[in-house]
Amino acid sequence: MVKINLKILSLLFVCLLISCNNNGNNDKDDLVYWSSNNSYEINYARQLTEEWNKNNLEFKVSFQPVPEGQSSEEIILAAVVGETTPDIYSNMWQGDVEAYAQANVLIPLDTLDGFMEFLYDRCNTSTIEEIRSLDGHIYQIPWKINPIMLIYNENIIRDLSLKRPPKDYSEFLESSKEFKKDADGDGYIDRWFGYAEVQVTWWQRFFDFYPLYLASSGGASLVKDGKAVFNNEHSINVFKFLRTLYKNNYFSKEKLSARQDVFLSRVIATRFTGPWEIMHADNFKTDDFEYNFVSMPVPDDHEGPVYTYGDPKNIVIFNTCKKPENAWQYLKTMISDEGDLQLLNITNQLPRRKDLLENNLFQKYFNNNIKMKVFAQQAKYVKGTDASPVLKEVFDLISQQYEACVVYGIKTPEQAIQDAADAVNLLFLD
Amino acid sequence: MKNTKNKILPYLLVSPYLLHFVLFIAFPVIFSIVLTFHKWNIISPMEFVGVNNYVRLFNDKTFFISIINTLVFLVIHIPLQIIVALFLAEILNQKLKFQGFFRAAFFLPVIVSGVVVTILWQQMYGFDTGLLNRMLVSIGLGKIGWLTDPDVAMVSIAVMATWKNVGLYVVLFLVGLQTVPVHYYEAADIEGATRSQKFFKITLPMINPTIFMVVILSTIGGFSLFIEPYIMTGGGPLNSTISAVLYIYKQGFFYYHMGYAATLGIFFALIIFAVVIIQKKFVEVKN
Repeated sequence: MVKINLKILSLLFVCLLISCNNNGNNDKDDLVYWSSNNSYEINYARQLTEEWNKNNLEFKVSFQPVPEGQSSEEIILAAVVGETTPDIYSNMWQGDVEAYAQANVLIPLDTLDGFMEFLYDRCNTSTIEEIRSLDGHIYQIPWKINPIMLIYNENIIRDLSLKRPPKDYSEFLESSKEFKKDADGDGYIDRWFGYAEVQVTWWQRFFDFYPLYLASSGGASLVKDGKAVFNNEHSINVFKFLRTLYKNNYFSKEKLSARQDVFLSRVIATRFTGPWEIMHADNFKTDDFEYNFVSMPVPDDHEGPVYTYGDPKNIVIFNTCKKPENAWQYLKTMISDEGDLQLLNITNQLPRRKDLLENNLFQKYFNNNIKMKVFAQQAKYVKGTDASPVLKEVFDLISQQYEACVVYGIKTPEQAIQDAADAVNLLFLD
Repeated sequence: MKNTKNKILPYLLVSPYLLHFVLFIAFPVIFSIVLTFHKWNIISPMEFVGVNNYVRLFNDKTFFISIINTLVFLVIHIPLQIIVALFLAEILNQKLKFQGFFRAAFFLPVIVSGVVVTILWQQMYGFDTGLLNRMLVSIGLGKIGWLTDPDVAMVSIAVMATWKNVGLYVVLFLVGLQTVPVHYYEAADIEGATRSQKFFKITLPMINPTIFMVVILSTIGGFSLFIEPYIMTGGGPLNSTISAVLYIYKQGFFYYHMGYAATLGIFFALIIFAVVIIQKKFVEVKN
């Protein structure tokens, strides 16, 4: 037991670090840009700022990765509280934007000259509507996405009777049944068709319930106009599907992530994951291990495109920025065609733009990275999160019911979804 | 001049503690009480909500589950801690070979980081690859969902917490045992008392103050149960291991419901205060 709350201490320490931090912002016209602290993104941001500073004399941009902490969200919160936010931050989770917008700590970007024209040129209307805040303004630039898809072991799938990765729930369940096995003969299943974390942590639902819900519903919302709108056949079907997977031992209820990679060690045949898996798998797989990606499974009667969660990370300008116009000038180069190509080449993350596959500039990259092309095809059908200041609570409430219904089977899917929706509606009344 | 100096000096002497008290105790407590009447997510201005947070508290099932869980933990942990610590202290109080080594070995988990111990036990409790289940299977028994079975998870955490803290209480009991006059045992030997008679009639009554101290220390430590469920189970399965402190932490630092978290904190502090008062009365009656 700890007598001192570690999180409070770390938050205070982070506040201290940030407040002591000299951003190198010596000239009042200079800008400070924080990127994610992922090493690839650090390289990308460093190159970008060096190029900018070499070619632009009017103002300089100093770059640094977001300070280390338990999570970048926590660091940004500490910076907001301490009023030590950078001018530009490029790794903002879309779900956090609404709360910051309502706290008036972000610049409404649609008030900047030429912003909306640029945005319409870059993104389709549905993306723009998705990022629009509840007050009608736009506080974020859609920057990059990592769509969640189904990774599968090609060697295993070839050996199953279906011969191809499952597309719908029936095929998924059929393949699961065929693959599950007690390999060591101790009376317990130790080969599962897939795996998802069973912990109730709210963001774990980005890798199971939420992308499956978007796939089934064609990208429907969870909350809209201050009330829950997920009490429908899609969420019930997703709960039913996942519940069957756990009930029949097709997915493990145990935490498998603490041991050797269960996908690469062939303990599981599939997993819901994003494009970051490519670099990891290529680094650690054996030579004979083949894998690929397909869209999330959908109900048997599903028609139309298969949507998924895009895990979008966006760019914001904080209101501590003295020259938002300068920040916008810099950002225009960051999200230009060349900037996006650099993002692809250096970080292997997809820019969120409507012409990703049509623009000739990116063709060479996708020809050299065939697996990333699968994600680029999926990128047309991704959704981020709904604009709501209480999104984490919404996911937490769904997650509580997910555990009770899907993992432990003590509630029916109908009851669990109803209870989650009621709890979310109460949240909005508060 | 000298008179003025004499008046100022006492204030100067107490000022370091006073400063510490005001900054780190009085101000946070008063601020927390003020917060209980507000809605505040840190980044937006505080909004006065009257007694809404208190109304919400009394309708919050999960909070009461978390208090019950904490009490369940205490009910398992405290007796287990006392029995194991007393047993080990009794053994270590004998003339043993390598006595120093054993005393150090039992104390070692106390000084190891709680996070490290928790992660280690999480691996041991694993269903498929955990050491405990492998041992059970090797002797022909079934596997147990140590951390995934809602009926077992809190017991698993209590056992782990006992292993982590028992060394400290062994030392306290050893001190207690060594204060028992040897001639009591010599007299009992002459009277032909058995080993268990000596333990129950001499040792236990003589170390009563130590037992009470251990109970109070374990209770206070048990009420702050946080790191074990935070790392091992996240409060699950089905909220069976969510402790009151973990729930307050989640409300405050996960969802940034600062006003509500302060309300829960104040209410929980009152519960601890009541328990300590009851324990104090109990000790006074005993004395």
